[in-house]
Amino acid sequence: MKSTTSHTLRRYLPWCVAALLSACGGDDGEPGNPGEPGGPPASEIEQLIVEVNEVQLNAGVATVNYRVTNQDDEPVVGIASSTYIATQLLPQGYTNAGNSSQWQYFTSESCSPDCPGEFTDHRNGRYSYTFSAAFDGMNEVSYMAGATQRVVIKVGGDSLPDGTPLPTTNQHYDWQDSGEVAYTRNIVTIETCNTCHNDLAFHGSKYNEIETCVTCHTEGRVSNNDNIFPQMVHSKHLVGYPGSLADCQTCHAEDETLTEHLNWARVPTMEACGSCHTDINFPAGEGHPAQADNSNCVACHNSDWTMSAHNDGGNDEALAQFSATITQAALANDTVNFTIRLSNPVTGENYNASADELAFVNDLRVYANWGNSFDYATRSAPSIKLTEITPNGGSNGDYSYSIAGLTVPAGTETDTGTLAIQGKVCAADGQLGDCDDDSYAQVNIKSSTQFFASDAIADMGRRSVVTNETCGSCHGDQALNYHGSRNDLAQQCQLCHNPNMTADAQAANPSIATADYKHMIHSIHNGQREGYESINYPGNIANCAQCHAEDAAGDLTVALPLYGGVPPLSLDDGTYTSATTAICSDCHNSDSAKGHMTQQGGVFMGTYEDATAGTESCATCHGKGASIDVLEVHAIN
Amino acid sequence: MKRINLPMSLSLIAMAISASMSPAFAEGYGLANAKRDKVKLDKWECKRCVVEPGLTGSVGAGIASNDGSDPHFANTTGTDQDGVTGFVQADGSYISESGYRTDFEADKLGYDTGSASVSTGRPGQYNIALGYRGLANYDTNRALTPYSGSLNLPDNWQTGATTGQMTELDASLKPVELGTKRDRFNLAANYQGSFYKADIDYQYEQRSGKRKFSGNMLTNSAMLAQPIDDSSDTLGAKLYFNGDGWLAGINTQVSQYKNDHQALSWQNAFSPTFGAAYSGQSAVAPDNKAYRIAGNTQFRSGSNQMLMHVGFSRFTQDQQFLPATINGPTPELPQASLDGQVDMIEMKLKYTGRITNEFNIRASYDYRDRDNKTQTASYPQVVTDSYFSGYATNLDYDRTRQQANLGAKYRFSRAVYLDVDYRYDHNTYSDLDRNKLNESIIDAKLNYNINPQWKLWLKAKAADRSGGAYVPVDTTDNPSHPLARKTYLADRQHAYYALFASFASESAFSASANIHGAQDDYDDTLIGLTKVDSLGYDVSMHYQANDDLTFNAFVNQDWRDSDQAGTSNFVSPNWFATISDESTVLGAGMAYSNLLDKQLALGLDYSFSDGKSDTEVTQGISTPYQDHYAKRHNVNAYADYQFSDKFGLRFDWIFEQYQDADWQNANLAPDAIPNVLTFGDLGHDYSAHYFGLTLSYQL
Repeated sequence: MKSTTSHTLRRYLPWCVAALLSACGGDDGEPGNPGEPGGPPASEIEQLIVEVNEVQLNAGVATVNYRVTNQDDEPVVGIASSTYIATQLLPQGYTNAGNSSQWQYFTSESCSPDCPGEFTDHRNGRYSYTFSAAFDGMNEVSYMAGATQRVVIKVGGDSLPDGTPLPTTNQHYDWQDSGEVAYTRNIVTIETCNTCHNDLAFHGSKYNEIETCVTCHTEGRVSNNDNIFPQMVHSKHLVGYPGSLADCQTCHAEDETLTEHLNWARVPTMEACGSCHTDINFPAGEGHPAQADNSNCVACHNSDWTMSAHNDGGNDEALAQFSATITQAALANDTVNFTIRLSNPVTGENYNASADELAFVNDLRVYANWGNSFDYATRSAPSIKLTEITPNGGSNGDYSYSIAGLTVPAGTETDTGTLAIQGKVCAADGQLGDCDDDSYAQVNIKSSTQFFASDAIADMGRRSVVTNETCGSCHGDQALNYHGSRNDLAQQCQLCHNPNMTADAQAANPSIATADYKHMIHSIHNGQREGYESINYPGNIANCAQCHAEDAAGDLTVALPLYGGVPPLSLDDGTYTSATTAICSDCHNSDSAKGHMTQQGGVFMGTYEDATAGTESCATCHGKGASIDVLEVHAIN
Repeated sequence: MKRINLPMSLSLIAMAISASMSPAFAEGYGLANAKRDKVKLDKWECKRCVVEPGLTGSVGAGIASNDGSDPHFANTTGTDQDGVTGFVQADGSYISESGYRTDFEADKLGYDTGSASVSTGRPGQYNIALGYRGLANYDTNRALTPYSGSLNLPDNWQTGATTGQMTELDASLKPVELGTKRDRFNLAANYQGSFYKADIDYQYEQRSGKRKFSGNMLTNSAMLAQPIDDSSDTLGAKLYFNGDGWLAGINTQVSQYKNDHQALSWQNAFSPTFGAAYSGQSAVAPDNKAYRIAGNTQFRSGSNQMLMHVGFSRFTQDQQFLPATINGPTPELPQASLDGQVDMIEMKLKYTGRITNEFNIRASYDYRDRDNKTQTASYPQVVTDSYFSGYATNLDYDRTRQQANLGAKYRFSRAVYLDVDYRYDHNTYSDLDRNKLNESIIDAKLNYNINPQWKLWLKAKAADRSGGAYVPVDTTDNPSHPLARKTYLADRQHAYYALFASFASESAFSASANIHGAQDDYDDTLIGLTKVDSLGYDVSMHYQANDDLTFNAFVNQDWRDSDQAGTSNFVSPNWFATISDESTVLGAGMAYSNLLDKQLALGLDYSFSDGKSDTEVTQGISTPYQDHYAKRHNVNAYADYQFSDKFGLRFDWIFEQYQDADWQNANLAPDAIPNVLTFGDLGHDYSAHYFGLTLSYQL
């Protein structure tokens, strides 16, 4: 990419630009070639697309040529401010055997609009920037011929001269001075981060791509080595992490487009590993046999070992060999009789024994509650423990049981109920095994629920508000367990955490002082619940879609009006708060918000009759399609 | 002096046996193919093949001194003795009037590499020989180690997790000498009847010395000077019969190897990583036995010759196993010893024939089968005496190799012939990444004797190797990368070419030169060795200035570039290495005899050799490894002065300047690598002289 002409090119650039402009000006009426936009500059800009064409080196000084277009491939002309970051990547093992590849920061140069280097807007969507000097020696880093280099261009966050706002855009370009890039360091994408976080951006929201972050968070650029990117990111997640830290693949997701996505297992280093395993001092030999450097790590911690140690050693494979599903259920007075099938989905065969006789089943329970349309009749769902009782009957994998003591209010017999299954099996190395054998460890199965009507199992039951998938975007796929092994966050918890729970009337904000699921979850995540004040919610709390699912009509389940079956909030002094008011005040709990709700028909701590009288008029303004639709005013993404 | 004529049958049998051993004689122009029917053997008495009875030859004694402090110089001189050392030389024979003959020979007896032999018998009937030969290989005396000879550490040793934490290291380092010495004794007898010949040969070899061994303890390792004390006995017997147009015989051999050491044990210089691993133990080469029995037959009929060879060998070892670990309770082994047995069957059929005076053909088939009959069992694996890591089963690694060969030689004229040869090589393996591998090889040689002085030949060879599906074995914990190809199993295209020319005038000057090149292309390999290119030439010349003065000179240079590809991201090849090997050998010498009234002979030789290997690894950035080379200047001069009829004095002078370096240990302190306790820098750099004075007496 060495250019012998760029020097001359620069000298005559004004004339060249003039010639180009006149060529463009004399529009021949033909549409521009794709990728060679020659048409009028973009006026509507929702997205900036920065395409780097090349980096030229002239006497060690780099010039980056790039093109900026909008979402319709129209040239974006007149971008006045931009930032250019240059960095160099040393290959894996280069700094010492066992060391990971390593970024080395050269410089960051900004035009706003004056630049340390030379900036040219070619007025056709094309731009050039020549750095102020040769990289070699900048930030005391030697430029290495043949090394992979990266240029990051940051544009946007401001407006064009005509006032058109430009979205903040980071674009990186990896290059080297003698051909194809020989090696890379592509480990995690920002999309993975943003499954839990929302639109991460740092340093005045200028930098929003991992490929940008890693260029500056390097040794020699940050004053504290704890802020080198891998160490920094690992350690930032140590406190309050909503899932299992042992599951590296939550962030280091499998992604074939990322050439180094398996580095977490393949390139163990004391820097990367030690940033989570903080009780180890490798050089001093504390918590681990002493290691002077990274050259030995992989001798013991080969990738198979590391993967198995961080993925619970094949628990997914073991769990795949066990399934408990309810195949029949019917209500007889206050008793639900049901049949459960225990099978091995891998072989497609049923286990020919009931749960109390299967040596690998440590615990298997079923809970039942009734009244899906009104959020259940009781907060005390009766249950049975299948591992401790013999079934009523059955054979060949299908066994029948009864749960008595359901609360079935008179007149609700045509409603539906829910059966929830939870349990633990024993597994090691991907295989199920005898729980009496110490080499097999207890593993929670994925909880599940099954709706039932009075005469049969049912597809439809309690409405779906959140899903295990939305919860799993931060907490992992049913990886968050409460009360032992309850992890179906979408439907299981609500069997007990329902409106039959009462709120503490003495609390400053009683709507969050209840264990009713919706209020409990809102208050945990917004940090207002007692015991959760220090929660550091990783996304934008106003992005309701992080947790809420869409209903059958495709509307997010936060849309108003609220589902009519939701009872009012019950307080322990016998008062009630109307349902919508109670929900909104989980977050909007200022006096003025309360005043507004009260004015618009909301009832705080009133009688049951008042709270259910239907005086709430929230949906008039905040309903779907209304002027202040909750779907619009929240930062739903 | 009385002269004794040698009986004819000796040389004939010798020729016949050598014809059966060496295919070089089997091309149709050997003695075996000669039309001997009309030859009157009894008239073949060699009038000049006469031997004087009595004692002839010379004996001598010498002293020598060398100033080389580096034992590596002894590889040139044959002795590592400091100061003055003595030796005995002899070369002579005694022939009795009744025809018995005794030969004796001694060469630098007294040196590590001295030799002596005596043989007696009646030529053409029987012979008994006794021999001794010393062989030695000198490595270094600079290897630094804190270990004693029994591989214990000093009493005050402080272990460390890393070499840097071994506080007593510097004070404990002592140099240890690495090298091996072998003493080989031979006893042989042969007897020759009218139509048979019997041979018996016994050899005993004892080896002692020290060599480098890596004592591994998990991720730590210490270089150790492993003591070598072992011996091998080999007994061979042959019986051959011959008749008109045929030869048949049987070869047998038994051998055994005995190691004085049953195990190598050492103290752990490092703090144990796990548990109480204060010492390590490793198995050493086990005692083992082998025998071989083979039959050879050869038939001739006219211009056709047929050769058959069948052999069977068995290798066994039942050395008692060491415990799987000496650190903590050892898992139980399935057997007390391996009780290993490997059988080899070999068979060869070869035909050579002359179709016309100009046209010869040859064909052969070769079969070799290695059958490992050792019982497989599940063995516990204890990683470097530290932790139990499951079980593994011993594998057979059986192999069957078949080769078919077809060749022809056509002589266009007295001056020009063409020799073409095709070979098909077929291998089947067990337990390797590939279970079938075959190669077709074709080579040709065109010979042109331009005139009596000039001779020219051109050789070319092409080979194509491929085989069955390449499936990395899953019998190892660390399976190969799916794109990796092991060099010895990979598809390969091979090409070789050579051009040779020689000139030999009737006058004093002769010279020869050749240029040769080869390419190996591993065309299906993405990760592994991908390409090897080599090129070289030799030139040598000889000039006889007059009857007494000769000069010679030679130069040889070879280059070889090997390309290798690897991956650091485990996806596709992303790093590449080139290893450039280069060697230069050149020399010149002169010999001047019959000076000073034919009493003085002088000789002077100079040689220079330079070998180096440069490795460069490129992953975007090119990283050359440090130096790896050996460079040697050697001057060898002598003056031999015969100051009376009986007495002579010879003076030898050797000068050597030698330097080598290997980036693996160059400038390396023993504690430079945190987890490897090394011997330090093992490079050589010396200039040394050797002076020898020999007084000889003519018998």
